Amino acid sequence: MKESGSRLSRRQFVKFLVATGLGVPLVSCQGEEFPSSQPSPELFAGTRVAVESEEMVASPASRPSPEASPEMPGTVQPEAVASPPGGGQAYLAVARGQDPKAITRAAVAALGGMERFVRAGMDVIIKPNICVDYHSYEYAATTNPEVVAALVELCLGAGAKRVRVMDSPFAGSAESAYARSGIADAVAAAGGAMEVMNQAKFRQTEIPHGRDITRWPIYQDVLTADLVINVPIAKHHSLARLTLGGKNLLGVILNRNKIHANLGQRIADLVSAIRPTLTVVDAVRVLMANGPTGGRLDDVRVMNTVIASHDIVAADACAATLFGLTGEQISYIKAAAEMNLGTLDLSAIRIEEITVS
Amino acid sequence: MSARSWVRMRRAVQAVFLLLYLILFVGANSRYPHRFGADLFTRFDPLLMITATVAGRVWVAGLWLAGLVLLLTLLFGRVWCGWLCPLGTLLEWLSPRRKTRSRRSAPPQGWRRIKYVILFFLLTAALLGSQSLIWLDPITILHRTVATAFWPALQYTVTEAERFFYQFRFLWGPLDWIHHRVLYPLFQGVQPTFSLGLVMALLFAGLVLLERWAERFWCRYLCPLGGLLGLLSKLALLRREVSEGCVECARCAQHCPTDTIDASRHYQSDPAECIVCVECLIGCRVEAVGFRWQLPRWRMAEWREYDPTRRTLLTAAGASAVGAVLLAIEPGVTQGTATLIRPPGANLVDFSARCIRCGACLRVCPTQGLQPSLWEGGVANLWTPRLVPRLGPCSFSCNACGQVCPTGAILRLSLAEKRSTAIGLARVDRDRCLPWAYGVACIVCEEVCPIAAKAIRLEELEVQTVDGETQRLQAPRVIKERCIGCGLCEYQCPVSGEAAIRVFRS
Repeated sequence: MKESGSRLSRRQFVKFLVATGLGVPLVSCQGEEFPSSQPSPELFAGTRVAVESEEMVASPASRPSPEASPEMPGTVQPEAVASPPGGGQAYLAVARGQDPKAITRAAVAALGGMERFVRAGMDVIIKPNICVDYHSYEYAATTNPEVVAALVELCLGAGAKRVRVMDSPFAGSAESAYARSGIADAVAAAGGAMEVMNQAKFRQTEIPHGRDITRWPIYQDVLTADLVINVPIAKHHSLARLTLGGKNLLGVILNRNKIHANLGQRIADLVSAIRPTLTVVDAVRVLMANGPTGGRLDDVRVMNTVIASHDIVAADACAATLFGLTGEQISYIKAAAEMNLGTLDLSAIRIEEITVS
Repeated sequence: MSARSWVRMRRAVQAVFLLLYLILFVGANSRYPHRFGADLFTRFDPLLMITATVAGRVWVAGLWLAGLVLLLTLLFGRVWCGWLCPLGTLLEWLSPRRKTRSRRSAPPQGWRRIKYVILFFLLTAALLGSQSLIWLDPITILHRTVATAFWPALQYTVTEAERFFYQFRFLWGPLDWIHHRVLYPLFQGVQPTFSLGLVMALLFAGLVLLERWAERFWCRYLCPLGGLLGLLSKLALLRREVSEGCVECARCAQHCPTDTIDASRHYQSDPAECIVCVECLIGCRVEAVGFRWQLPRWRMAEWREYDPTRRTLLTAAGASAVGAVLLAIEPGVTQGTATLIRPPGANLVDFSARCIRCGACLRVCPTQGLQPSLWEGGVANLWTPRLVPRLGPCSFSCNACGQVCPTGAILRLSLAEKRSTAIGLARVDRDRCLPWAYGVACIVCEEVCPIAAKAIRLEELEVQTVDGETQRLQAPRVIKERCIGCGLCEYQCPVSGEAAIRVFRS
């Protein structure tokens, strides 16, 4: 039995080899760096901002296209940046009415229809706000399911290959939050697919335009999808004052509590990295206090409004007016405008207001 | 049926039951805590059911399943051990092959008594209302090990491998498919982390190592459930018998995993030690060995020298009583520990007496906030669950732990009841809190507070900046009447290391 003595038998050698082989990849893949919080303003060409922002107010058609600028290497951008509004298309649409689906469709139609954004065969991601799994959508902590469903239908109708809907809640599992919000059922009925975000696909991503943060773990599919539609619900937040389109993007990153240290600028930096092609603000039921989690119907005000624009800054600025505020007063809207990510000057853009009866 | 078919059948039954155990384990998660009755094996276990009923002074649901096992034992002997017990099966599979083991080194026969000592110890403790050592039960050992060590380790390995391969973008297509179709359904949300995973794995490894000393070491010498079923097996109707035709070739003895076939007794065995594995049938060339019904000439099996005596019983009971008293005077028991936060509803019952330390709640907790305790609640509360909010809060929309608790130690609260049941109270540490201590803006605890009207109020605070300017900030204060101690604030607090807001037992 013990003849082999202290010599390494073949079996032992193979065991050792397998163990080492398993161990090496495990050790080698742990080296994810912690996100840098060092400001690096040199990455952002300040003078260029000023020039372009004048241009943009004058003519939205010249929306900056960072891919084309050689002085900003390594830009991470969604491949499809929406075409600016053409003739007869509104820059921003505000639709009001009893039926959330109808006003969503009306708002998108005023922008030129979903065909303006979606081309046949596109891979679309819709990012609603499903921040917690506490209450159903009536409590206005999560985006209205009908608004999301309408967008799914519009995308599929415009020829999208697949439409995925996702968010990562900060409390409760994604699955239970999807179910409780009512969005899971609505999306399934509309033909879309709910997806639980895969932790392995949050990867350190350069933010070349970032003024405060230049790297952050971002969900890769949001960067690689053909089209990202941002569907925040307008609601109260004690630090940001309001949760709107910019704040909604915290659902596609990790370490979101580290954003709060410089919320305004950091959200603007994220907007520069993610650049959703279309932003649809759900203000059908609005949470006025005790946000962003809610739980009291007394805090909910029914506004029956949907705001849509390709310009996230303009959409957020317009939504702020529903609360009697301006975009200037919301730190992240102001910071995003300063970075030329959109305009908060609502008087300079073509807004179409629609009432659906 | 031939001897070989019986053996094959037994091995098949073992595999089926181990598989069933694993399916039930994997199937139970926070969304479907009770899918297919995840606690089936706990309810099969008579030792757990008896002690939980006696110590907890409650009628435990599903008690009759344990009665089924008792009945099986009275009919066929220790078939639970040889055919059904998933821990026994696992140890059997992990045991070195019989040929390679030296038979000389087996421990003395007297060691077989240890399991009875442990059994009497546990039963007396249960009478006195203590379950502090019930973690020696085989089902809880297996469940805790799988839940806190093996499964998390497997998930970690798979997840890290996945992360590694995600570096290569061309693999994303198949990886996405694997993730959403296989890995996510299997593992669900967060990577489980358990403070005592390694300790549990080492204890299990110890049992496996003992297999090298003697086959079925745990089942033979230590297992208290084996002791209980062994005593009943003395009365069993089906027993192993050796007929006159025996040629004393000793081959049956060589096949016996519990080494109970005794050459000096004409190769008869002790029904209390025999696990009815029927391996001995294979060895017999003259078909002298068989399992036969004892009716109508039934007599209780012979009492062996290693079997418990009245002295054993009294000594174990006495020691148990002394131990129970010593545990009762621990400060953790008399005073409670401020950081020992129990799952929701556990405060409303005599938790320590009802909890069987099985780890079912640890398995389903979606945030991994429930952790097994080592010394935090005193020795008396070893392996009981406690909430560590910094690792994971008590999820506002989850009551899974109460759903799976097999003994009602964690009450089966409805979601509405659970949401209003306080398990602790949050406390702001103003020397660490960003606005209070450093004048830095932060409202994360208030933001995440799940209470509809918020259990954290933001106060206006005036602070001086470095440049001497006055700045207004919001700073958190806990509203005692509303806080339920879920710990989401502690979990999300961005202060590194220990949180600036912490939950303590209220």
